[in-house]
Formats: sequence, C-alpha cells, structure tokens
Amino acid sequence: MKKNILGIFILLVAIFVITAIINPKFLNAYNMQNLIKWSSLYAVMSLGVAFVIITGGIDLSIGSVVGLVAVVLSICLKLEGMDPWSAIGIALILSLLIGLLHGILITKAKVQPFVVTLCGLLVYRSMGRWFTDNQSIGPMPMEEDAGYKNLEQIQHLDFVFSGKIAIGSFNLPTPAIFLLVLSIAAAIFLRRTIWGRYLFALGSNEDGTRYSGINTDRMKILAYVLCSFFAGMAGILFAFELDSVQPAQTGEFYELYAIAAAVLGGCSLRGGEGSVLGVVIAAAVIRLIYNSINMVGISTHLEFGILGLVILLGVIGDELIKKTVNRKQAVQTS
Amino acid sequence: MKIIYALGGAFLSLGLFFFAGCEGGGSSSKSDAPTFAYVTNGIDPFWDLCAAGVRIAEKEFGVNCEVLMPPKGVVDQKRMMEAMIAKGIDGVAVSPIDADNQTPFLNEVGRNTILITQDADAPKSDRLVYIGTNNYKAGRALGKLVKSAIPEGGEVMIFVGRLEQLNARQRRQGVIDELLGRSMQDLDKVKFDSVDSVNLTSEGSKYVIVDTRTDNFDKAKAKSNAEDSMTKYKNLKCMVGLFAYNPPACIDAIKEANKLGAIKVCGFDEQDALLQAIVEGHAHGTISQQPWEYGYESIKMLKSIYEGKQPENKYFELPFLVVDQSNVESFWAKKKEMAELGKQD
Repeated sequence: MKKNILGIFILLVAIFVITAIINPKFLNAYNMQNLIKWSSLYAVMSLGVAFVIITGGIDLSIGSVVGLVAVVLSICLKLEGMDPWSAIGIALILSLLIGLLHGILITKAKVQPFVVTLCGLLVYRSMGRWFTDNQSIGPMPMEEDAGYKNLEQIQHLDFVFSGKIAIGSFNLPTPAIFLLVLSIAAAIFLRRTIWGRYLFALGSNEDGTRYSGINTDRMKILAYVLCSFFAGMAGILFAFELDSVQPAQTGEFYELYAIAAAVLGGCSLRGGEGSVLGVVIAAAVIRLIYNSINMVGISTHLEFGILGLVILLGVIGDELIKKTVNRKQAVQTS
Repeated sequence: MKIIYALGGAFLSLGLFFFAGCEGGGSSSKSDAPTFAYVTNGIDPFWDLCAAGVRIAEKEFGVNCEVLMPPKGVVDQKRMMEAMIAKGIDGVAVSPIDADNQTPFLNEVGRNTILITQDADAPKSDRLVYIGTNNYKAGRALGKLVKSAIPEGGEVMIFVGRLEQLNARQRRQGVIDELLGRSMQDLDKVKFDSVDSVNLTSEGSKYVIVDTRTDNFDKAKAKSNAEDSMTKYKNLKCMVGLFAYNPPACIDAIKEANKLGAIKVCGFDEQDALLQAIVEGHAHGTISQQPWEYGYESIKMLKSIYEGKQPENKYFELPFLVVDQSNVESFWAKKKEMAELGKQD
C-alpha cells in the first residue's frame, strides 16, 4: 500500500476495531451491509470531486446536482410515466450537461470554479424545488401515478440500484458494485491513460502543462463533466436507496462530505495529487464514524464534532507521514 | 518516531472520545431491561421537551432509551434506525419525515423490531400504532385563536418549516378551513388546498389567507419570510406560525418593524420567546401539543407492546392545549417543571 494512504487505512481499521470492541453487534451482517451501502453511495460522489480537485479546481454544486438529478429522475419515472431506462438516461445526460456548463464557464468565460459551482449549488437546488413545488417525491410510482404502468420495470431498476445480491449468507448491496466498477474505471483513467496523467500535470503546474502543448481547457472541462456525472450517478443511487427525494434537502451539504473524503483520501486542494483508493477508504471512514457513533451510543449532537476532529487528525497524520518519507528519501539520495 | 507518536495520540484521543461518549451520552444502562429508540425528524427545542418525557418514562418504567435526532432529513433518519436495528433494539418510536415514500423502509424496521410512529404518522406502513395530536383539529383550534385575535377579520399569513410533512399540511388546512368557515373534515380524508394558493377566501368569511411561506427549518429564512410579508402585505393583520420556531421569528420581525400589537401572532408549540410574548401581550396564543407527552406515551406504549399487550387502536390521540394569556403562566411553569424532571442524572 502506498505511504500516502497508509494513514487513512490505519484510521479506518482503528475506528473499526474500537467500535467492535465497545459493541460487538457492530460486526453483525446487517450492520456491515449498511456500512458498505452508505460508504459506496458517498464514495461515488467523492470520486467525482477528486477529478476536479486533482486539477486544482473545486465543485461546490455536487449536493445540489445529486438533489436535482434525483428529482428529475423521480418526476420522469413517477409522474411522467417515462420508459425507466430512458429516465435514467435523461438523468445522466442532465448531469453531463451540468458538468459541461461548469467546464465551459470556467475555461471560456474565465469565471472562478468556486463562483461557478457556488451559483450552481443555488440554482440546481432551486430548480429541484420549483419542479416539485417543494413536495417530496420518490422514484417508486403509486397506483394514481402515470408511472404505475411501468411498475415492474421500475422495481427491476430499484433492485439494480438499491438491491442486495446474496453471496452465501451475506447480502451485498448493489451500490458497492457500482462503486467497484466506477473506481476501477477511475483508477485506470487516472493512472493508465495519458488523459489521466494530463489531469495530474494540470493540477501541479497549469502553465507548464499548457506550454507543453496540452489543451488544458479541454482537460478541465473533462474533469468537471466527470465530477457532475459521478454526482448524477450518486443522485440516482440515493433516489432508489431512500425512495424519497426531498427537493430542499436531498444532497444538501454532500459536497462537503465529498470534498472532505477527497482531502482525507490524499487529494491536495492545491491540485496535482490524489488517489482513487484513498478517496474510497476516506469515504468509508466518514460513514464508519457516523455508524460507530450510533453503535457506541454517543450523543448525535457530537457527530459533526467527532467527524471534524477525525478529518483534521487524519490530514495531520498524513502530512507527518509524507514529511518523514520525504526526509528519508532525501537522506537516501544524499 | 514522531509519526508513531502523532498517530498513537490521534487514535488514543479518538478512543477516549468514544469511551467518554459511551458513558456520558447514553443513559445508565439497565442490563436486563428492554432498550427503546425515540427517533425525531430533526433537531429542535420541541424535541428536547419530547426527550424530557422519554427520560421521565425511562425512569418510571425501568427501561433504557436512546433519543436520536437526525440532523439532515431522511438519509440520517434511515441510517440511525438501521444502526438501532443492528444493535438489536427492542422497539422504535419514530416521527417519519416523508411518510409515503419511507413506507418500505418503515416496514423493514417493523419486521425487525416493534415499530410505532409518533408526532407524524405513516398510515400505509405496518406500524403498530400512531401516537399523535390530531393536527387537523389542532389547526382548527389555531384558526379559532386567530378569529379571537382579529375578530374584525383581515389578511392572515401562514409560516411553516416545510409542507412535505403530513402534520404540517393538516395544521395548515385546519387553520384555512376554520377561517373560511368550511365544514370539519375527517383526519384521514382531508382535502388540501394547493401549497402555493394565494389570497384564499370564501363568501361570508372576513378572512383572507394571503400566502403560505416555507423556510426548510432555516430560522434566518423564517424571520426574513416574516419581514418580507410585512413589506408585501401592508394590511396584514395576523401571522400564523405552524412550527415551533416560526412564531418567535414572526414576533422578532414585527418588533423590529415597530408593529407590535398592529399585527397579531398566533402559533404552534411553546418556545419560551412565544410564551414570553403571550405574557407581554405581543402574541395572542398558541396550541401546545405538550411535547413531553409524546416522549412519555411513546415509551409507555413501546413497553406495553413489548410485554405482549397489543394496542386497542391504530391511533392514540394525544390531547392538545390552547394556551393564551389566561393560562400561560401556569403552563410555562409546567413546561419548566417537565424539562427539569427530564434532565439526565
């Protein structure tokens, strides 16, 4: 395992072991399934923002994209009675277009990523509320809905996106399979393709990369498109997982979880650094903390406090490891 | 070496945090007694009072209770209940945030433990009983309060956290039906006026419900909604706040606009700021659901079901109380007493 994700992995194991000692019920299959499920849902989103952070950018609109995609998907499936796979297609295309818009505004109109995506956060949230009159909606149609005629297909989709696959006596939540596929694809893209290397180069030194003849604008747009696509994918997974989409709340503040997971997982907000495995482990750490707090019986009011402290400690620990490794390397080379 | 110290220190402090939380956050555990979870729909002083009732029942009935307040809606509510099931909880009393769409999950909870709903119902789910106020009736009582506040009639504005919740819609409809002189509706067949209806009135009614504004539990937004309504509706006579924090937000806004007395406030629940305003005559009255009764009756019901006694009905109606200047002081004293009694040892 690489040094830069060793710290976060130790953190994961430590919290896991401490919680299991305090409450052995933590280890039961039902709880493990839930933990895997929630970790996968948040990790998908976090992977997306990692692309943008690697290029030195930021995306604050992720939570609102999750919410809007979940709303649009639910409207298409439940109220419009649209063909279910087409509805999924529309939801994903919407997320791709949002990413494209962000990318174009950032590279061509030269608006700062923070501003573009902050405005996106506000606009998409508002759109979701407006589309639904701020009423809760879910992807599963009821008898009076136009989508009821497609109930069987939608139930099939529900299984695909939020079902459980029995592996012996263990039921593996399907979001874990989505995460597995997406993270392998992301890792191959970042580490094994020239485009992935360009993203790292862009994050480390944008001017240098541009002078090397690389079309940095195109790479940036690609990063934002991927980020929104992953957020859209998470929106679909959340919609089916919760069966309830609240236009004002679904996805709210998720960008912060995603960014926290990316940073805790080894991405530098200065750009040029990041690892898929680190981000996935970090997303799991965050969900593990939430689960542990409940399993151990700590007041829920302390959730954010503990989460904040753990992230801070994790990042400090990571920095210390990096410093020591660099020092050792310097000693060896001298 | 430094790394080992740093990481060791980090994990040690984390571990201490967990152990500290174990002892401080939970109640003194009675090993053989059943453990029940009381799950709210958010974080609010209203739920602190409910928790007080839970703690009173916990002592009285010799059970263990966990009070869980999901900070961020459905997703937190779901994961918290999942964790409770994983812990092998003996019963859950929950206030569902989105009853219709949460039904499949609530049924999953019901298959694993005793499930009852409180405060807000999920009538399509397999919950064993719903403990709650008849929010439609309570809304009508609030409408009556508005009538006594402005007997000459006039423009009325409604403020509420969010209207996705059935109880919020029922309250609102109760107020509207009472003010417009409509006949009483059955709780399970209430017909709702559209959320964005404006200038609702009827022939023979002296009242116009000019609008309903939501704030999604954002207290600052609640206040600015009240301010904006005074800007927009110059003849506004009464503000009606349907969630606990709405009436104090309205009173603040009215005070800052120097319109105390000119615009009446009627509300729901019993935040101190509202009770103080009723004492001072700046607010007309409120409908209290006596929150401690929610907590107390929920745990009492869970214990009774746990012992094998099935509830007689699917609906256990808790009485509400109309609080105005005539009884506000005794009510406030009772509220303080209950909160004190419910405090953790």
